[in-house]
Amino acid sequence: MALELKSSDNKIFEVEELVAVQSETIKSLVEDGCADNVIPLPNVDSKTLELVLDWCKNHVDMKLDEEKLKEYEDKFIEVDQAVLYDLLLAANYLNIKDLLNRACQKVADMLKGKTPEQIRETLNIVNDFSPEEEEEIRKENLWAFEE
Amino acid sequence: MTNIRSIIQDMRSRSSRVVQDRFSAGPPSSSAAAAAVEVEDGMNQSCWANMPQELLREVLLKIEASESAWPLRKNVVACAGVCRSWRHITKEIVKIPELSGILTFPISVKQPGARDSLIQCFIKRNRSSQTYYLYLSCTNGPAIAEDGKFLLAARKCRRPTCTDYIISLHADEMSKGSSTYIGKLRSNFLGTKFTIFDGQPPHAGAKITKSRSTRMVNSKQISPRVPAGNYSVAHISYELNVLGSRGPRRMQCTVDAIPSSAIEPGGVAPTQMDFSLGNVDFFPSMPFLRSKSNHMETFSSGPLASQKDGVLVLKNKAPRWHEQLQCWCLNFHGRVTVASVKNFQLVASPENGPSGPEHEKIILQFGKVGEDLFTMDFRYPISAFQAFAICLSSFDTKIACE
Repeated sequence: MALELKSSDNKIFEVEELVAVQSETIKSLVEDGCADNVIPLPNVDSKTLELVLDWCKNHVDMKLDEEKLKEYEDKFIEVDQAVLYDLLLAANYLNIKDLLNRACQKVADMLKGKTPEQIRETLNIVNDFSPEEEEEIRKENLWAFEE
Repeated sequence: MTNIRSIIQDMRSRSSRVVQDRFSAGPPSSSAAAAAVEVEDGMNQSCWANMPQELLREVLLKIEASESAWPLRKNVVACAGVCRSWRHITKEIVKIPELSGILTFPISVKQPGARDSLIQCFIKRNRSSQTYYLYLSCTNGPAIAEDGKFLLAARKCRRPTCTDYIISLHADEMSKGSSTYIGKLRSNFLGTKFTIFDGQPPHAGAKITKSRSTRMVNSKQISPRVPAGNYSVAHISYELNVLGSRGPRRMQCTVDAIPSSAIEPGGVAPTQMDFSLGNVDFFPSMPFLRSKSNHMETFSSGPLASQKDGVLVLKNKAPRWHEQLQCWCLNFHGRVTVASVKNFQLVASPENGPSGPEHEKIILQFGKVGEDLFTMDFRYPISAFQAFAICLSSFDTKIACE
């Protein structure tokens, strides 16, 4: 049984139900009988949806081969930051637990070993602390990173 | 109707090129690589700053869970320094040592240890600089490794009528006016009685101890570099036992800052939640204090212990005389390996009422393992700071020393 999914940029994807229901969001739509027509996914663009569906398909195909699946997952998540961000949000929106877990883990791994300033640089986050808070944080990090 | 297979095949050939061209989110990047990302993802520049809170929380939870031991624990502290929302979530996720047995932020050294297990630390003494360094042991177990996370440093300052040990978060910043000042241990002239001072109020309604070095605080606009005062939190006394200097000395530690009920089932001990050197309130509504059962909020301004609730008293466990070895013995469970009059184990003394199982637990254990190396193990309801200060008194006292 095939489902039709429509990305935010209006691209239609035909997907096997078994693959699509890896997404809990889509699964509930199917169960509620709302999947007869094209399912719009306004929060996911085609580029990201293709990757997500690739993940889902491989998780169905390689279900019994743990080693092969792990190899696939490790390779899959080696993407640049922008793609990783899109995957993270898509996995959250579509409620695909294993993809969400893996993407979060990837982000966590990316941050390990960095100072607060390096984390800000990497993710382009603005430092919004007051001077007093900055002083406390400076003290904190001096102590934490002390050899 | 488009075929998913052909799309994916097409994407596959495209995406592999993409990965090669772009910066891969792998090991820590150099700023050059980070700059490359900025140029390429012009539209996504601040996307991470807009990451939904629940996703940020998931990421931070993963970091907190995997970096549970030092030195990797510093990564959790780093996350709390990125921006306000990161700090808020990280602080929410990190549990106090009482619940996790893990020290994370500097304030952890002021918070009670774990209830069911001893937190293992060691102290290094530098005789020439009269400085003592407290470390958290990074590897637990019988072997005393020198692998440790620096916690606190103490420097001895001899004065005409007493001796002070200044305790600080930074070994190089030892002045009382410094923002890393935590507290001090003061001994009397004879070295028989000691007082532990906390640079911050230990609980609601705590009275500041007046001394020459105290500044009365009237306004909230104080530079964080000036300590708001010193609060007496414990008294330690040493005495000879009935055998005089031939026997182990008697040690008693009265912890005014902790009620004796803290060690009973359901009891709580005051827990400081952050440093606020520049903003000390003498009124009961201390914003930075919290207890598990809202116990503290019911205290009005005044001393911690009401008439019927005494304070915690710790006494040293009496060693047994070993006839064959001809020495006094305590079971340190392998954590102390060199006999010394300084070695001790403190248990809660049942000042009020009969002794129960809570009076069997060792609250603090200290002992020599090398020329200038000592282990210090402590648990709830005392904090690493209080434990360290008590151990320093053992170094200083002249009672029953050869």
